[in-house]
Amino acid sequence: MAELKTPDKLSRFEFIRQGIARTAALALGFLGGFAAFGSRKKNTVWQLDPMKCVQCEHCSTECVVQPSAVKCVQSYPICGYCRLCFGYFEPNAPELTAAAENQLCPTNAIERIFVEDPYWEYNIIEDLCIGCAKCVKPCEQFGNASFYLQIRHDLCVDCNNCSIAMQCPSEAFSRVPADQPYILKHKTREQQVTPAQFSQS
Amino acid sequence: MNERQLSMVLVGVIVFICGGFLFLLLRTEPNVQLPKRVTNVRDEMLAGHMGAGAGETKEAEEAVKIGEHFETFDGKAGETKAFWPHFRGADFSNISKDTVPLANSWPKQGPPVLWSLDLSEGHSGAAIWKGRVYLMDFDIEREGDALRCFSMEDGREIWRRWYKSPTKVHHGISRTVPAVTDKYVVTIGPKCHVMCVDTETGDFRWGVGMIEDYGTLMPEWYTAQCPLIDNDVAVVAPCGKEVLMMGIDCATGEIAWKTPNPDGWNMSHSSIIPMTLLGKRQYVYCSATGVVSVGAEGDDLGKVLWKTAAWAHSVTSPSPIRVDDERVFLTVGYGGGSMMLKLKDEGGQIATEPVFELDKKTFACEQQTPILYQDHLFTIMPNDGGGLRNQFVCMTTDGKMAWSSGKEERFGFGPFLVADGKVFILNDNGEFTMIRASTKGYEKLGHCKPLKGRDAWAPMAIVDGKLILRDSETVICLDLRDKGSQT
Repeated sequence: MAELKTPDKLSRFEFIRQGIARTAALALGFLGGFAAFGSRKKNTVWQLDPMKCVQCEHCSTECVVQPSAVKCVQSYPICGYCRLCFGYFEPNAPELTAAAENQLCPTNAIERIFVEDPYWEYNIIEDLCIGCAKCVKPCEQFGNASFYLQIRHDLCVDCNNCSIAMQCPSEAFSRVPADQPYILKHKTREQQVTPAQFSQS
Repeated sequence: MNERQLSMVLVGVIVFICGGFLFLLLRTEPNVQLPKRVTNVRDEMLAGHMGAGAGETKEAEEAVKIGEHFETFDGKAGETKAFWPHFRGADFSNISKDTVPLANSWPKQGPPVLWSLDLSEGHSGAAIWKGRVYLMDFDIEREGDALRCFSMEDGREIWRRWYKSPTKVHHGISRTVPAVTDKYVVTIGPKCHVMCVDTETGDFRWGVGMIEDYGTLMPEWYTAQCPLIDNDVAVVAPCGKEVLMMGIDCATGEIAWKTPNPDGWNMSHSSIIPMTLLGKRQYVYCSATGVVSVGAEGDDLGKVLWKTAAWAHSVTSPSPIRVDDERVFLTVGYGGGSMMLKLKDEGGQIATEPVFELDKKTFACEQQTPILYQDHLFTIMPNDGGGLRNQFVCMTTDGKMAWSSGKEERFGFGPFLVADGKVFILNDNGEFTMIRASTKGYEKLGHCKPLKGRDAWAPMAIVDGKLILRDSETVICLDLRDKGSQT
């Protein structure tokens, strides 16, 4: 007479052991899958294209972070190191000195250092910069355009809808890859990387 | 639910929690830091991006011995019928009076390039005299200002007169146009050194250091003042501690006359323009502190006829334009605009009065001087010219806009001149455009890109249908003649 088979009964220990093993296997599979697919999707952050910026001053007033997370950046390879810097001095400044009445920046956020005749170096003091672009505009119009604005990602809180982007009249804001979060100006146009190129990369 | 089903549910819950945790973990952006300095200024200097000599600390400069060196080469003077003897041509109008017909259109590649030469970085323009081209250049290796004489025919160098004057690249170096007559060539170097040499042989006549001898305050980015020769007298504006303007006898180098500078007016990038106003021949100059007119003949020679501080801009490049016997037009860039100045004879004294002023968005010019053409003014609007930014515009001398090139046709800081009823415009990047010289509207006739470099800002010169133009480091000669007129 055939022996009646009874269903396998799992011991409590076996149940826990199998449960952990299956969980671990699935978690590893999930992790692997996420890593594989997740790496294809780029994480993005907000940035403004300096080539589109019209220096409207909204960056200083519309950012939810105050002072703004947008700051002026100096591109040293582009700068002309002029004694008369149009981004630093008021138009027709009485004297080319660091006296407050001669300076264009409302917060004294530009440091002017003599290098050697005839060169002067201009540095942005970021703690003081409010992103108003008052220096950027004349530098762009009359100088080498070495001053420009960028969102600083050590300050930006990365809102879903950037409040500056919503007000930007030239639509200079776009999402760029988080691992390439700055649109830096370069000395030649050939070297310039545009957001369009970011999206192709 | 049996134990197997229970185990599957448990596994699912754990996977969901782990997955969610991993998702949140991976979604958090890295705290990316932009370097405080995009690059390092001193690295840039060492890499040579800031020009010759940058980054080195030099001892006090040696005294400059103007005209100390001379070299000859194998070039031979060509033959030219017309002249372009100094800044803005024979009559300072920047309008060629040549009768040589120029082509009304170009092939796709543009007009033929007759010859081309490399120069050091700068914005100096050419003067043309009897088959020779005279051009200020800078010898980077030997650190010297050099007056170079080329053949107009093939661009081969004939001779070079130079002197050591260490100068660092600062938006270029050389930026003036020599003045030439049958006997003399007068130049002004970037650091305000005036030199006079023989037109044909290049023999040195004399030199004057306006900074060393007259206490001139050199303008930013070196001087762009172009010299003037009038009746064998070189006329320059040192704007020094005591002398505002002076005449130097070309034959002897002796000072023929001096105009005092009691108000301490400073040198600009503008040039002295001779003109006749209220029947008096005079030299008009826009300093960085005001406009002055100095008598150019008779008892008035060297005397201030009129001056006004109503037109004072710290960076002034355009030169004054005579509109008629009693009006002078002044313009500037860098946030300035324009002014029409009217002169009145009040009991033997000349008084000035602004007729109208225009803001930077209406009419201005940054680096070039507008052209007066058929009672209209041509200019290229500056970068801060609002909607007209970088457009070529035409305005009546009453200050009414006649036309502009439109938003699709914008230019830069480059030069423009009129020849054979056409305007030739050079853009910063070497693009070259020909339009009809008209007071009615913008009509484009041709476009090409004969220069590959940047900062093509030097004034152009044209004789016999051949145009000399340059970018920051290359000069070329273009044949603009109509094919039917070429021999």
